[in-house]
Amino acid sequence: MSNNFVIDPYFIDFPKRILEIQNEMAKKNLDVYLGSRLRTMSWTTDAFFPWRAFIVIPAQGLPTAFTFVIDAARAADDSWLDEDHVLGFAPMGGQDQISQIADFIKDLLPSGKGRIGIENGMSNYLPEGNLTHYEYERFSEALDGYILVNAHEIIDRLALIKDTGTINRFKEASRIVDIGHQAVFDAISNGGWKGMTETEIAGLASHAMRKAGSVWEWSFTGGNEIAVGKRTGYAGGACTPATNKRIEAGDPLMVDIHAMYKLGLGDHSHNYLIGPTSDRQRWHAQNFIDIVELTLKAYKSGITPSDLAFEMMGFAEEKGFADFMVPGFEHGIGMLGDEWRIGMNDGPFPYWTNPDHVYQENEVLICAMQYACPDESIGFRYENPIVIHKDHCEEMSKFRLSVDEIL
Amino acid sequence: MEEMFDYLSPQWAIEVERKLRLELSPEKMNHVTSSMNNIYENCKDGKRQFFYVSFKDGSIDEVITGFGDGPKAEFIINGEYEVFKQISQATLGAQRALMTGQLKLKGNMVKALKLASLVDRINKIIATIPANY
Repeated sequence: MSNNFVIDPYFIDFPKRILEIQNEMAKKNLDVYLGSRLRTMSWTTDAFFPWRAFIVIPAQGLPTAFTFVIDAARAADDSWLDEDHVLGFAPMGGQDQISQIADFIKDLLPSGKGRIGIENGMSNYLPEGNLTHYEYERFSEALDGYILVNAHEIIDRLALIKDTGTINRFKEASRIVDIGHQAVFDAISNGGWKGMTETEIAGLASHAMRKAGSVWEWSFTGGNEIAVGKRTGYAGGACTPATNKRIEAGDPLMVDIHAMYKLGLGDHSHNYLIGPTSDRQRWHAQNFIDIVELTLKAYKSGITPSDLAFEMMGFAEEKGFADFMVPGFEHGIGMLGDEWRIGMNDGPFPYWTNPDHVYQENEVLICAMQYACPDESIGFRYENPIVIHKDHCEEMSKFRLSVDEIL
Repeated sequence: MEEMFDYLSPQWAIEVERKLRLELSPEKMNHVTSSMNNIYENCKDGKRQFFYVSFKDGSIDEVITGFGDGPKAEFIINGEYEVFKQISQATLGAQRALMTGQLKLKGNMVKALKLASLVDRINKIIATIPANY
């Protein structure tokens, strides 16, 4: 008799995640956890919640998600939770989000007392989903007698180290991004770039990635970020939603594309010089390649963002291009909604990356660098999801590291 | 002369059940299995009353009225007696009453939306029953 079990490489044990949250809730004496951040929705439900959403996690048993009624049935269909645990809210008596969720919590805690964990704070990432001031006030009124306690660190800590299923989802999203890059390369080569706009490049990358299985160019920065000419080199810049700007001969071209697979995120940038290329442009390009290679060699468990920045900026200074480096070499990443901050909220500036965060094995981050020389209208960007290992990092996107010269 | 029923009385409930059985086939009710309990606040004597109706595979299962909170149900609708009265007289739509906050629904909203048209059918039949309010 043969063993026909098929192991799903993208499997994530979501009930186990909920149990881990409930264990942490018990340590903090929380009776209910009321999550509202997009990262929390993704990490607990395995579904994308584009509309306002909440999740109520009781001390024991299954959680229940709440979202705008027009999307609740779809979200339930996508989630591991069933339709009785993904509920819709609507502007009707007893069915608005505050009444519905407050009533639900009161049913869970009928004594009229209890400690409720909420998610509060601030973020660079606009769709973070912290409880708004208004929501906090309304929930406080509706749950009079209950205590609301900021508790997002529970999710933040548990989500920090990625499990195999999550890492494999990121790898698949990165494989798809590589297909997008190949499609862009094929399209712009041999003069194909002539007359093309940034948005066309964004679109053809999207088409190739969607054909390959991506469900969304997930980044809130306009999906795929494409920049040509001076837009590649904004001072201190690293955000370029595609525009209708056309590629011109002699332009640098930055292609920063995004794919999503089962809420795992692909994010990789590749750079070009559209001919004719000057020696000075090649000098900039080589600087960029050198520092990316060195950075990728440096990432491993035990180092910190500040260690790495110190070492890399020292290298750039030594080679004479420190003026062109944006002094940051990473941003955080996790299942959809978990972007920007690295690690826990324990640094000198609240809700920013702690520069002394010590990387651990199986953390995933975006190795990210921006080289920018606005005076010469040139810049390059590197982004690639990496897994931290004991003595090295693993690049998930495998597209070649180069600045390709295209004629 | 047409018989009049006291609204929410046991006799009214029997008439509601009879009419629903007569006019709503399981097909018309989409073979639904569900239950709904309307809880009336501030009835004539200041008391709370309920009107409970349940379906099994589209057929009427139970129609019960009485005092207090009534049986557990998949959907619980709370409101003032005067609001429910207007719905039973077909002078106010149930959906409008919910959307203006005059009624409060407890239950799975997605499932409730699936049942909204069925509830309208029930209310239309109830509105044909002559009653003393």
